[in-house]
Amino acid sequence: MARLKITGLKKSYGDIPAVRGVDLDIPEGEFTVLVGPSGCGKSTLLRTIAGLEEADEGTIEIDGEVVNAMRPRDRNIAMVFQNYALYPFMNVFENIAFGLRARKTPDAQVTKQVRQAAEMLDIVALLDRLPRELSGGQRQRVAIGRAIVREARLYLFDEPLSNLDAQLRDEMRGEIKRLHQEIGKTMIYVTHDQIEAMTLADRIVLLKDGLIEQQGAPLELFDRPATRFVAGFLGSPSMNFIPATLQKDGDGLAVAFEGGASLALPPARAGALAGRVGQQIVFGVRPEHISKSVGAAARDGHVPLDVTIDLVQLTGSRTYGTFRLGGVETVAELDVHDVEQRGERLTLLFDMNRAIIIDPETDLVISHSGAVT
Amino acid sequence: MSILASDGGSRLSRFSDRNFKYLVVAPAILILLLFGIFPLIYTLLVSFQNINMMETDTSFSGLLQYRLLFSDARLWQSLGHTLLIAAIALPIELIAGLLMAILFLERLPGRQLFVSLLVLPTMIAPIVAGATWRLLFDNRFGPINQVLGWITGEPQAILWTIKPDYVYPAILIAEVWQWTPFMFLILLAAMSNVDSSLTEAAEIDGASPLRIFRRIVLPAIWPVMTIALLIRGLDLFRLFDVVWALTQGGPGTMTETISIYAYIQGFRQFETSYTAAIAFLVIIMLTVSVMFALKRMEFVR
Amino acid sequence: MSAAAKARRQLSRRRAWRLALRYVAAVTLTVMFLFPIYWLFSISMKTPEEIFASPPVWYPASIQFDNFRALFRGGDAVTVWNSLFIASVSTALAMFLGTLCAYSLSRFKTGGDNLAIWIISQRMIPPIVIVFPLFLLYVWLGWVDTYHGMILLYTAFNLPYVIWMMRGYINDIPIELEESALVDGCTRWQVLVKVVFPMARTGLFATAVFTFVFAWNDFIFALVMTRSEVTTYPVQVTHYFGGQSNFWAKIAAMSVLGAAPVFVAVAFLQRYLVRGISMGAVKG
Repeated sequence: MARLKITGLKKSYGDIPAVRGVDLDIPEGEFTVLVGPSGCGKSTLLRTIAGLEEADEGTIEIDGEVVNAMRPRDRNIAMVFQNYALYPFMNVFENIAFGLRARKTPDAQVTKQVRQAAEMLDIVALLDRLPRELSGGQRQRVAIGRAIVREARLYLFDEPLSNLDAQLRDEMRGEIKRLHQEIGKTMIYVTHDQIEAMTLADRIVLLKDGLIEQQGAPLELFDRPATRFVAGFLGSPSMNFIPATLQKDGDGLAVAFEGGASLALPPARAGALAGRVGQQIVFGVRPEHISKSVGAAARDGHVPLDVTIDLVQLTGSRTYGTFRLGGVETVAELDVHDVEQRGERLTLLFDMNRAIIIDPETDLVISHSGAVT
Repeated sequence: MSILASDGGSRLSRFSDRNFKYLVVAPAILILLLFGIFPLIYTLLVSFQNINMMETDTSFSGLLQYRLLFSDARLWQSLGHTLLIAAIALPIELIAGLLMAILFLERLPGRQLFVSLLVLPTMIAPIVAGATWRLLFDNRFGPINQVLGWITGEPQAILWTIKPDYVYPAILIAEVWQWTPFMFLILLAAMSNVDSSLTEAAEIDGASPLRIFRRIVLPAIWPVMTIALLIRGLDLFRLFDVVWALTQGGPGTMTETISIYAYIQGFRQFETSYTAAIAFLVIIMLTVSVMFALKRMEFVR
Repeated sequence: MSAAAKARRQLSRRRAWRLALRYVAAVTLTVMFLFPIYWLFSISMKTPEEIFASPPVWYPASIQFDNFRALFRGGDAVTVWNSLFIASVSTALAMFLGTLCAYSLSRFKTGGDNLAIWIISQRMIPPIVIVFPLFLLYVWLGWVDTYHGMILLYTAFNLPYVIWMMRGYINDIPIELEESALVDGCTRWQVLVKVVFPMARTGLFATAVFTFVFAWNDFIFALVMTRSEVTTYPVQVTHYFGGQSNFWAKIAAMSVLGAAPVFVAVAFLQRYLVRGISMGAVKG
């Protein structure tokens, strides 16, 4: 198990910067997910840790040792690639054993370790087969087997599930989580899929344009995003962003939208925003925090609003209703039978405790719930 | 189970890893430098000297050799011969190769066998091809004259490799015979690679086969065609073997190509410096033509 | 019969006609292109009377190997052996050095575009341009008419081709395989041997065969650089030009010996033929 510390890492490809200054401090045994849109630098960061790319600036320390100058083979790390990287001319056993053989491990030892890894991943029956005879999921397991057999101190995953279909991906996600629980090593996982990030990570590192936008526990980023980007990236379907203005509403504040609608803010939150009365803001609310009103009165922080539904999308377990608010198509996640057809008028409750307020000039979140659920 | 910490590797293995990319190219580059750069430099130097069979005058003679070049009729004639052969052979090979490729493009049972057989002329040594045609063109015992005799009704005894009227056709026939399959093969492969959905869409739209060919297939295979023409063009420029086998540049100097002329100057007359000048002239001409051709190709693209 | 069925029959009849015509054309072409090769083979197996029959005998009454036996008696067969030896060794050398170089060019882009362009330009230089200074160099080194001289010459001559082709084949190998091996514990050399060579197996084979054929078929270098010790078969064939009787048989027999290995190579190489002769321009 190893502690990974990265300081001031920068890497460019010619004129194009990929990583523009990253600091990370990952304790032993933690599962860290590097996530972000394509081009954000997450793969470059991972490959630099592996030693497949050389950093232009900054240090990488594994267990206190600066490894920048070390060859990949000397860093004692293991890596699982997106395309599995299985050698087509070797069978599964030899593929898994490859790294051990490269380090001249004695045969008996090799057989023992390979079997152990195969058992952990339930692929013992496949040891004789060639990669082309395996399915995508099986190949992925072999790739993971090759990584864990070596008992490295740090495990790197480069979008390992991107090539699998949705159902298989769900299944393998659980397996990887279980794997981490069993072997407990430090793991760094790169993905562009925010669901993978949310479900697998002990810590999410969200990258944008070569810099860390925010890092922390998944729910921390989910409930208390630091910027609009973070708020919009996590969560599916993604958060609604509606331009509005802050207005006085009696003793407190309300969020006022174009077209006349307005939602009152709970008093606890109004205090911090008092200085911004009259300013333009962006109102952010997740679809799951908008529900159908049962009964007429506003509950504690839940504010009602009448809307007309333009579009209804049924998934079977939930129904998504779209309506216009403040000039923006807004999505609400409702129970299955809450709305039947477009054109229906509904009263929806907005959970104003959990909504966020964004400053449109800086894209920073200036107010969020503060309480992690 | 112990975790293998980095064993560090020996200093030699780490050195060789870091400089790996240079170590592996070194031997090849060295050989290429010796056989590629050295001759060029030497040629350039010697061309400015005055070495020949009689004297070894290594003093700097300036542009003496080059001035001789320009007044040497035989040199320019040999260039003319070379270009003449190229100008006739290249279009024939291209068109014949294209027609053959079109013939074989659609499914045909046994196509693989046909193609393998048709490619054989290209694969044998050019000197052997020349020798083969030498036998075929023999004035008394060669089948060519025999077949011609059947056609014209009276016995033919054409001296293909000696009579001025017949030497060029003989060379051209041999050359086209050997290299049309080359064009054919490349064009067939290029045409097979053309996305069938493009041609199918055109068919549905009602385009005639000729139009499909001109507007869709031809532009699609254009890059490959230009490369093939470039390779063949360069090969034709340095034509030696086939001509040597058939006529040795004769009769007289009538079919002398630039390569043959240079060979004779260098290895029969031992005009060292003059040959060097010829060689340098050839290099310059080639470089200019290739660069010109490449620019044109990019421009058209 | 319905109109539709009638139309279908007409269409398939037209198609059958087209196929038949194409077949006839294909067979005619093949006969035309192969006839000279057939003629060569037939002369090599004819008796002197048959060779010099006028009108020509179109096929030998029986297949004679006397002409070939004469080659072995007369010492001509040695030249075929020389060719074999020189071509094989130079091919092995060119393949080894060239593939290594190609790997560096492919994965590390060593020397960038300039090096790649220079290497390919070496392939385009006409031999007469360099043969003369090389000859003088060889005289000075005492390498004229020696095995090692010819081997090195052919190696150098074929290196650009090998480098160019292998670079293409190596580019086709997914780089993750090598990266994975690096992380797993291989040095760069181990990656080459354990991953790259096996993956490039077929490309190596195809390129090797083409390289061999180029060396095997060369005439002009052999003409200049060999005398009596290391004569190769192409030069030997030209010794018999002149038009006298048994010389014809010798020409034909030697040519057959020279052509036969190439035919074998083509038989094995069908799949890679296009890529090999178009220098990778077309991935047939």
